[in-house]
Amino acid sequence: MANLDDYQAPAVINRWRTLALGAGGIAVLAWGVGTYMNPEQGLRSWLLGFIFWAGITFGSLGVLMLQYLTGGAWGVVIRRTLEAATRTFPLVVLLFIPLAIGVWTHTFFEWTHLPADDPIMAHRGVYMTPWFWIVRAAIYFAVFGFMIYLLNGWSVKQDKTETVEESRLVLERASRFSGPAMVFFALAVTFAVVDWMMMLDAHWFSTMWGLLFVAGWGLSCFCFSVTILANLSDTAPMNRVLGKRHFHDLGKLMLALTMVWAYFNFSQFLIIWAGNLPEETTWYLARMKGGWGYVGIGLILFHFAFPFLVLLQQDFKRKARWLASLAMFILVMRIVDMFYLIGPTDRVSGTLEQGAFFISWMDIVAPIAVGGIWLWWFFGQLLKRPMVPAKDPYFEEAVEHGHGH
Amino acid sequence: MESKLHGIMAEFDTPSDLVDAARKVRDAGYTKTDAFSPFPLHEIDEALGIKRSILPYLIFCGGITGLLSGIGLQYFVHVFDWPIIVGGRPHFSLPAFIPPAYELTILFSAFVAVFGMLFLNGLPAPYHPVFNVPRFALATREKFFLIIESKDEKYDYAETRSFMESLAPQEVFDVEE
Repeated sequence: MANLDDYQAPAVINRWRTLALGAGGIAVLAWGVGTYMNPEQGLRSWLLGFIFWAGITFGSLGVLMLQYLTGGAWGVVIRRTLEAATRTFPLVVLLFIPLAIGVWTHTFFEWTHLPADDPIMAHRGVYMTPWFWIVRAAIYFAVFGFMIYLLNGWSVKQDKTETVEESRLVLERASRFSGPAMVFFALAVTFAVVDWMMMLDAHWFSTMWGLLFVAGWGLSCFCFSVTILANLSDTAPMNRVLGKRHFHDLGKLMLALTMVWAYFNFSQFLIIWAGNLPEETTWYLARMKGGWGYVGIGLILFHFAFPFLVLLQQDFKRKARWLASLAMFILVMRIVDMFYLIGPTDRVSGTLEQGAFFISWMDIVAPIAVGGIWLWWFFGQLLKRPMVPAKDPYFEEAVEHGHGH
Repeated sequence: MESKLHGIMAEFDTPSDLVDAARKVRDAGYTKTDAFSPFPLHEIDEALGIKRSILPYLIFCGGITGLLSGIGLQYFVHVFDWPIIVGGRPHFSLPAFIPPAYELTILFSAFVAVFGMLFLNGLPAPYHPVFNVPRFALATREKFFLIIESKDEKYDYAETRSFMESLAPQEVFDVEE
């Protein structure tokens, strides 16, 4: 069987780690000052950074389970990147604390300020109270944390196996777990994003919401993995592993999820547009006026149309560098998409006219702050384990697949 | 009798023999060639110098045509031919037009993909000269065949036949028209 020492993480990751911490540290300080001056805007911006980067953590958990279920060479070569991303989980819990404090102190989320006799608040009762909101978040984290703990544990165990049979047994256990776990994952994501994102607008609701995030986080995860792997594909040990066909496969998955993202968003829009009910249409009305309208058109063009047309081409998907450039572009658009969901919602302080276009400097600083720390933690985790599951029974086959035609 | 030949065919025992021979045929400058194998050989496209198919571009054009037909059809029906107010919306309501336009995009792309593939492959072909070689039936089972057609510019019966024999095939056949 393969020797794990051949696949130790390259030293270049250490440098990236320092860079990430430096950028993140400076941004956190700036964000801290800004939040001291304007707590509500600070927390709204923090939520923007949190939902994007935590989306990569939880998206990676979903894709990790997906590749245990489907198999395939792409899953074997990105598995360790996904696992390292899921192990940022303790950090994600820490990053959530400012949001929990914000809700507990009624600093942001309009519903924390609505009177108890507001019909919808009265109907939802205890569900929309700060303490229950925080308890629910703890439950979601427990569900995600449990899955992440088990899957990473089995992966460590697989690296210690001596024979193919033992290794296969561990793999089978992970696959059997992933099937049912996937159901709870999708449910936990749905409930979590309803709490963390949809409740920004206390009166609005959409049954598409959970799926939007399952697809969006999956897309974020693939784009992130492609970015990392393409930048490592020229250095040992990944230059011995990755081939153009791996990137071709990952590019196809990016294309599929770009389309799914657009499909879910359009479904939500079409249902609300066709229904034409005032309690639903307000959400889109706010997002189609003035500056927000341009952001919306920008998303259609650059989150869907442009990546879609580029990814249709076979040659593009086979060149790691090109694919990585597009992946980074889509990641930026993912942040814009989250901004489009958060930005137009009502503020507690009422400082802005309802629905007016506004972008704060903290909307740029907070994603960098969260991202710097997140990446610092991620690279630390990536360095801890060999870069590929070299003891996986399908490892050799997966490497060979990448170098075919 | 030379003019009546469709080409010269060589039989090989293994896929790697076929690919090696195909590379030599390509390097010798023959272009009107073809290879036959019981299962897909990914290397053969490169070995024989077969160009990438134009099918993807045709499918893309098919998709665009479908999209425009879908929107055009609905625009014609809802705005010119039989305008009806539905739900108080304008006659030209793009959100409602997108699902049918999308369906037509898929339909046209799929038609172009299937029928374009058949057309570019020269199918249906009720008669093909290669079947005049009785052993060619083995191409669906265990043998690998390579053919140089007589319409190739470099084709010369004696020269091409001796070239084929130099590739160490199991047997060389004249394929009658």
